[in-house]
Amino acid sequence: MTDEILRVRGLSTRFFTEEGQVNAVEDVSFDVRNGEIYGIVGESGSGKSVTALSLIDLVDSPGRITAGEVWYRNADLAGEFRETRPEAVDGEFVDVRRLPEGVRRSLRGPAFSTVFQDPMSSLNPSLTVGEQIAEAVEVQRRARANPRRTRSRTQGYGLSNLIVDSVLPSRSYVSEESSERAVELLEQVGIPDPAERAEEYPHQFSGGMLQRAMIAQALAGEPDVLVADEPTTALDVTIQAQILTLLRDLQEREGMSVVMITHDLGVIARMCDRVGVMYAGEIVESGTLADVFENPVHPYTRGLLGSIPDLEDPAPRLQPIEGNVPSLLDSEMGDRCYFADRCPMAMEDCLTRIPEFAVSAGEPQGGVGSDLDGVDDAAGGGNGGAERGDDGTEHRARCVLAEREYDPERALPDGYFDPESAGPPRSADPERRREPEVNADD
Amino acid sequence: MSLGRFILKRALQGVFVIWGVVTVVFLLRFVTPGDPITFIAPLDASPALRQRIAAELGLNKPLYVQYFDYLAELVRGDMGYSYISGTEASARIFARLPATVELAVVATLVAVALSIPLGVVSATRRHEPADYAATTFSLAGISTPNFWLGIMLVLVLSVQFDLFPTSRRALGFVDALGYLAQGNPNGLIVWAKYITLPAITLGTYFTALITRLTRSGMLDELGKSYVRATRAKGLPESLVRYKHALRNTLIPVITVLGLQLGSLIGGAVITEAVFAWPGLGTLVINSINARDWPLIQGCLIVIGTSFVVVNIAVDALYAYVNPRVVYD
Repeated sequence: MTDEILRVRGLSTRFFTEEGQVNAVEDVSFDVRNGEIYGIVGESGSGKSVTALSLIDLVDSPGRITAGEVWYRNADLAGEFRETRPEAVDGEFVDVRRLPEGVRRSLRGPAFSTVFQDPMSSLNPSLTVGEQIAEAVEVQRRARANPRRTRSRTQGYGLSNLIVDSVLPSRSYVSEESSERAVELLEQVGIPDPAERAEEYPHQFSGGMLQRAMIAQALAGEPDVLVADEPTTALDVTIQAQILTLLRDLQEREGMSVVMITHDLGVIARMCDRVGVMYAGEIVESGTLADVFENPVHPYTRGLLGSIPDLEDPAPRLQPIEGNVPSLLDSEMGDRCYFADRCPMAMEDCLTRIPEFAVSAGEPQGGVGSDLDGVDDAAGGGNGGAERGDDGTEHRARCVLAEREYDPERALPDGYFDPESAGPPRSADPERRREPEVNADD
Repeated sequence: MSLGRFILKRALQGVFVIWGVVTVVFLLRFVTPGDPITFIAPLDASPALRQRIAAELGLNKPLYVQYFDYLAELVRGDMGYSYISGTEASARIFARLPATVELAVVATLVAVALSIPLGVVSATRRHEPADYAATTFSLAGISTPNFWLGIMLVLVLSVQFDLFPTSRRALGFVDALGYLAQGNPNGLIVWAKYITLPAITLGTYFTALITRLTRSGMLDELGKSYVRATRAKGLPESLVRYKHALRNTLIPVITVLGLQLGSLIGGAVITEAVFAWPGLGTLVINSINARDWPLIQGCLIVIGTSFVVVNIAVDALYAYVNPRVVYD
């Protein structure tokens, strides 16, 4: 069961802004298996998009990945670097972060590919859609033809080539072959009249069609891992379903792995095999879909699940999570559970830093159950434990409740974090928390 | 609509704009002080002589008749007779026009060739020495008045080091090409020597302006999500920067370029004065001082027309670079 394609370990990404250091992603670890869809879910500002960017090594200044390893299974690369960079090789895995820059860049496309949130702004408005997809094909065609040059600083295509190609009408970066492949890809993602549409510009496409084109572009390099960063957020609901179906079909057909990043639990429930819940830059709970959804431990996960309307049993009122995502400014992050001030079940223990616990199978959980159609009884017992055994996925939560039951005796008094009440710790000053946080999720 | 029809349509609109220019230029004479006859006639001219001159110039006819006469003459290419210089106005203007066009085009080409790479380097090496050098240069370029710059260049490069001639224009580009055709490249060298300082003087502000525009535009484009997406698909940085980001940066740059080139044709007055450059700028000033109305009007119409033509060309280029422009 260790057929992972990706092992992320202790990934931390910080933004060094004028307001101070922002800990957008903190010590994030997860595995992505071959041919699975791994979901990362969280509110806006929880660090999920920065996690996506960190995976593909495209965090822009002032952001920087400050720690962590991204182990990617690739026997060829592992063989190549076993001698020269032993620290970057572990069995069949290579630590992408410790590979030379050129190699890292050459992995974009064939190893990792990305579908971004807003297709309208993720394509160049002044080039045809077909050409942009063909470019992505062409990069890989040239890389196959000459891997060594592709790893150089200019990737074998410097300014002089560019000038010659743009001056001579007979020459172009994109070959005929790649343009034809682009049309094929457009057809694969279900765009009608792909040959004509390839000649059109992004503004002539609808949002849904454009997201299909983005997916076609992401498929161009035949990636092992497709990072889908909120792929449906910018689309309307009916189109969302189409795009998700398309992604699922393509994932099954190509056998690739997908990291699905979203704030939408419905998307996760529909698409993913395993899931990590992010809050304030950390993964606060992770496990199989069944474990996390049917037997959530962290009150944040429970809160998220509680804010989904249930069509079967429409409760009179949804249960939103009070408050907002905390500031991720380093100076304002206290040494305690970041969710404590919004947590309905916060206890005194939460004021010290919360370690990560594995949830042992079959342990009954505290008072609040999930609102997902009442399956928690079934999953909470031996059934859930058996699933974990099959899958090998530990159900983990970064919360004291994973270790012990909720104890009302030790609960923090109501309004503990309010400014009026006595004795709030300095770091939990709600005045500061209301400040707009740096939007690292964009 | 195709690009061809778009240009045709803009050209037709341009005709109306030029007609408007002509009308305003014609009416200008009646709202500015100074009677042309006073300047033409001898100081002791009798009223009868003045009458005769007025009749000869058609100045005694009603305004609308004069207007239509003027239009009819213009259409035939006749801009009137300049009494003060004793030549056809059009002959003088078109003799001067090449010098101005040459200067404007050379200044623009140099400016573009310098400023766009400078702006790109500045943007891609933000907060590095190259960027500071480029931004310092553009700040200096924008704040330096070009009459001062011209004089300084002459003082240092011509007078002190004797590298370039101080002023005037020895021969035109076409003449230089003529020499070259005969196998003599010296004509071109001389031409280049004469045009260098005026072109620098005229082009510095322009270079600085476009450098700034390119830098900020490029920074803007490089921060957009499509650039990140382009990198994510593994494209070489040369393509990311120049094919993707620079192309979009050039869209606003082209607009400014067009407006500036238009204004260079009419606005090289100061530079032409500093270098005694025999172009339209000096001609306009001289003819205004002399109240030489056919010449003033002719110059203004030629400058106005150039402006319109350049702008049509820029619009066409703009539409070519930016596919989001709908030709309508």
